Amino acid sequence: MTILDTAERHRNIDSPNPLDWISPAPAAEEAVGAPAKVRAKPILIQPGLVLAYIILAVALLWAVAPGLFTSYDPVQGLPGQQLKAPSALHFLGTDALGRDLYTRLVYGALHSLSGAVAAVAIGLLVGTALGVIAGSVGGWIDEVIMRLVDVLLSIPVLLLSLSIIILLGFGTVNAAIAVGFTSIASFARLVRSEVVSVRRSEYVEAAFGSGGTFFKVLWRHVLPNSLTSVIAFTALQVGSAILQLSTLGFLGYGAPPPTPEWGLLIAEGRNYIATAWWLTAAPGVVVVLVVLAVNRVSQAIGRAQQ
Amino acid sequence: MARYIFSRVGQALLVLWAAFTISFVLLQAMPGDAVLIKFQNPEYGLNAVQIAEIRAAYDADGSVVLQYVHTIGNFLTGDFGYSLQAGVAVSAQLAANLPSTIRLAGLAFAAAALLAVIIAVLSNLPGLGRLRSFIQSLPSLFVSIPTFWLGIMLIQIFSFRLRLVPVINPGEWEGLILPVLTIALPVSAPMAQILLRNIDEVLTRPFVSVARAKGASHTFVLWRHVAKNALLPVLTVAGVLFGELLAGAVITETVFGLNGIGSLAEQAVNFQDVAVLQAIVVISAAAFVTINLAVDLLYPVLDPRLKAKLGGVA
Amino acid sequence: MGLSGKFKAATVIGAVLLSLLSSAAFGEDAAKPTQGGTLIYLEQQPHTNLYPPAGGFYPNGGVLNQITDKLTFQNPKTLEIEPWIAESWTVNDNASEYIFKLRKGVTFSDGSPLDANAVAKNFDTFGLGNKELKQPVSEVINNYDRSEVIDPLTVKFYFKKSSPGFLQGTSVIGSGLVSLATLALPFEQLGDATKIVGSGPFVVESETLGKELSLKVREDYTWGPAKIEHQGRAYLDGIKYVITGEDSVRIGALLSGQADFIRQVQAYDEAQVEGQGYKIYAAPTRGVNNSVVFRPDNPLVADVRVRQALLHGTNAHEIISTLFSANYPQAKSIVASTAQGYVDLSSKLTFDPAKAAKLLDEAGWTPGANGIREKDGLPLVLTAYESPPQPQNKATLQLVSQQWARLGVTLNVLAGDAGSRTVDDLDPAKTPVSPAMVGRADPDVIKSQYYPKNRDVLRQKGGPSDKVKSFVDDKLNGLLEALSSEPNREKRLQIASEVQTYVLDQAYAIPIFEEPQAYAGAPYLQGVDFEAVGRPRFYSTWLAEH
Repeated sequence: MTILDTAERHRNIDSPNPLDWISPAPAAEEAVGAPAKVRAKPILIQPGLVLAYIILAVALLWAVAPGLFTSYDPVQGLPGQQLKAPSALHFLGTDALGRDLYTRLVYGALHSLSGAVAAVAIGLLVGTALGVIAGSVGGWIDEVIMRLVDVLLSIPVLLLSLSIIILLGFGTVNAAIAVGFTSIASFARLVRSEVVSVRRSEYVEAAFGSGGTFFKVLWRHVLPNSLTSVIAFTALQVGSAILQLSTLGFLGYGAPPPTPEWGLLIAEGRNYIATAWWLTAAPGVVVVLVVLAVNRVSQAIGRAQQ
Repeated sequence: MARYIFSRVGQALLVLWAAFTISFVLLQAMPGDAVLIKFQNPEYGLNAVQIAEIRAAYDADGSVVLQYVHTIGNFLTGDFGYSLQAGVAVSAQLAANLPSTIRLAGLAFAAAALLAVIIAVLSNLPGLGRLRSFIQSLPSLFVSIPTFWLGIMLIQIFSFRLRLVPVINPGEWEGLILPVLTIALPVSAPMAQILLRNIDEVLTRPFVSVARAKGASHTFVLWRHVAKNALLPVLTVAGVLFGELLAGAVITETVFGLNGIGSLAEQAVNFQDVAVLQAIVVISAAAFVTINLAVDLLYPVLDPRLKAKLGGVA
Repeated sequence: MGLSGKFKAATVIGAVLLSLLSSAAFGEDAAKPTQGGTLIYLEQQPHTNLYPPAGGFYPNGGVLNQITDKLTFQNPKTLEIEPWIAESWTVNDNASEYIFKLRKGVTFSDGSPLDANAVAKNFDTFGLGNKELKQPVSEVINNYDRSEVIDPLTVKFYFKKSSPGFLQGTSVIGSGLVSLATLALPFEQLGDATKIVGSGPFVVESETLGKELSLKVREDYTWGPAKIEHQGRAYLDGIKYVITGEDSVRIGALLSGQADFIRQVQAYDEAQVEGQGYKIYAAPTRGVNNSVVFRPDNPLVADVRVRQALLHGTNAHEIISTLFSANYPQAKSIVASTAQGYVDLSSKLTFDPAKAAKLLDEAGWTPGANGIREKDGLPLVLTAYESPPQPQNKATLQLVSQQWARLGVTLNVLAGDAGSRTVDDLDPAKTPVSPAMVGRADPDVIKSQYYPKNRDVLRQKGGPSDKVKSFVDDKLNGLLEALSSEPNREKRLQIASEVQTYVLDQAYAIPIFEEPQAYAGAPYLQGVDFEAVGRPRFYSTWLAEH
């Protein structure tokens, strides 16, 4: 639905170069941090990339072995220690129940990262399947799938995910499903446009010509060549999923308490902003850093593939 | 061309109907319903018999199919029904909320486009050195900030600590500064990215070297190019970003306490105020298909290369 | 007429319980009030339907209190019932017939007279409901039969049986009088404040739905409650309500001078507010305390020993000292110490983990492998939904959960959408535990809370839920019925005391604190007062020079 339907565009415009930049349909999301295809300049921001890897490594370590980073309990508070300012004892202060904020951030990594990854996995799997079918089978199946995708896009993302959470019930897993569901449409579109363009390329035509069966050609040639931009997009979606999950937490649709999920930490901390601003500032900064790092890495993946 | 437009409009209507139906089914499948949520509320202190009577009065347990037919019929005649939770006609709620959201989203969109152009031009100015990579990484930063957090922080800093702009009882435009900024930052990012890529691509083209050789300055080439080509990428993302604008409006209106479709929608989901939600879904789906349709139809007008192609097939 | 006797009792109780509110609200009116100005009031949630009996919801009450008058006025200091629109009244001995003599010359803001006919129509609607217009029955009116207009200024009400709570019921927020035109509107149109026509000191001027509401003063208002000092029009020219859902924005706006008065101030912000010279108003709600209640229909909490164990395993003091402030007194009974009929039962509410563990052992719940108590292989895992309108309820339940965890009992705290919460809350199998509170300055409030035909917090069979399998407590229900229909005041308070003792002996509820409605106001804001249940009244409010 956006701009010209990709199929039509491919039908209409055979010269790829002048309009190359508008060709992948999910322009908005894909464009963010996506590889600059003809960027000829040297990349100046390598230190940033190193930093990004370090941030991600730390976040992953938090998720895998939180006990290495802190000795406090993320769920049980210390009576009488509520709302303490940051200090040597409590690196980022404590919340209203006397729980160490830094500890909750460390333990929250598991919930937030696994939630985001699960969400993207759902979008990736279902979206890719739909996109591949639509792009390779074509015909009325393509039409039906793409119209469904349009419908998904036309319902506001946030309303869709809120409705899904209400339907499935509250919880980390259900929130991930809701966020994943909303990215199906973007994945399906991207994959379909890639598949269509690969399918029309000469070597795929040649593979068909040399007697390859449909599925064999699909598996051997179409899929691998279509997946390059999909991988960069996937990495990017992880960042956006973290943000979406935290937004759900803010609206009160996130993980149930006392789960130390990042979005929930920002959301709960915001009530104390007049008295304890660090309760919302610290988790906010962590989320920004991690999402930024994920985006940077996804850019790097994109460049590497060029 | 006429056949093309006709088929596009047909598809748009189909999408609209499907969005309506899907939202209807989703709402029906949710646990509980609006009547229950409203009247089971202990504030009313109603007993079982009274609640049963009210349910009967609202036909809350009636046939779903009939309700569907009924609702779609009403929608076609422009009757959106009553909001059970708020106790007013949905059309009144829309009249009170739609204009402010359109204004907020429109301004945010314009601000985002402006910001994107500024970023694109700035990062291509000569002699910036390190600053250049910083400017180029701004879009990445903008999309990494949770919108609600940004809004809360902006209020705290600019309204409560620095006391520059009031959030309560502000002047008509004054009150829009922070909310517009909150939505515009993340939306500007994809636009800036597209512009940056676009400029990079153009700068490698032969005519630029020719212009340079003829003595045109880098800045002159850049401005000319951006001015000429900024509209297309902005249009490109307009359709896709629509959903983002609405989501941004939900968050921003909640944080800033503005009235609008966004906060209305959030409330309606929670209370399963079916009539309100259906109207909002249909309106936003209609806006989505209209914007995309317009973009599709405008593209050939704005881009002669495409026009030639389309003219050839249609 | 046994009325004066009843009032004496009320006066005695009220005098003993001179509340924080009275000193905060009335103590500083020494300066001479000035007229004029618009009050900016930040409300947390938009009002919903403004049908007067729905006024219990605080945002609704905050509006209805300014635009409607009531037949009688309950003095918030003494809890005595004083004349307002009714100049005098008589009640027969078994409290089944009430006659009210009305004040002359009172009009609604649309110009129509507030006469006996209007009053009769109001209470016919509130007492019986109106099926055609979908208007529900008022919670505060029990056993209503019919009205009779005796002359233009005299109205008589008949009840099917004794209804001693009715007189106080005419003074509450749910009994605001509205014009016949408003009563004729279907229920679903009453969410539009501009359609609510009352006789109060303020009139709705304009409304932006869900966002802003402007009231303006009624210049010709001369019928304020007879016994209060201020008479004539209100001092303020107008009130502007701005809906501001974010706690941090309300506090920030108040402290940065963008607003004059805000509702819902959490305990953790009190120090900051007072530190900057602003005022905290913690108006008592005089009702059932903020509590955790059980649904004994669920087999996990069917055994009284389990409930008692959890009661003694709950450290209310720790909850208050961690999350709340001096404005949230620790509960000493199921009702607030400012409530009518209160008895001090703190000896039944001791925190005693050893006793709790022993009770659980006796009940057959023994610690399992992972530390969670089990019986017949079934773990003692309970569930409760948080109740967002209650102050810091999520944090409170999490603390309760931590305390119970030390006993080997798991309490899962759920956040849910309104739909799931409403549906699950009706099913004791899904929500064996629930937070609960209700405010009203009459012993009837206990019945409102526990009686199966009212709020039914314990979920009895015969209540609004069809999910309840068998739980009924006839003894409790008998006491509650007696409470609502006993015309003799002393006997009524005696029954109230019995109910409190019974509920705690059965450990149906774990009262935690006496819930105030917490507001904050600017230093220059004077003369804010509150009705008996903590809803603000701006009739005598004025803005000093600032």
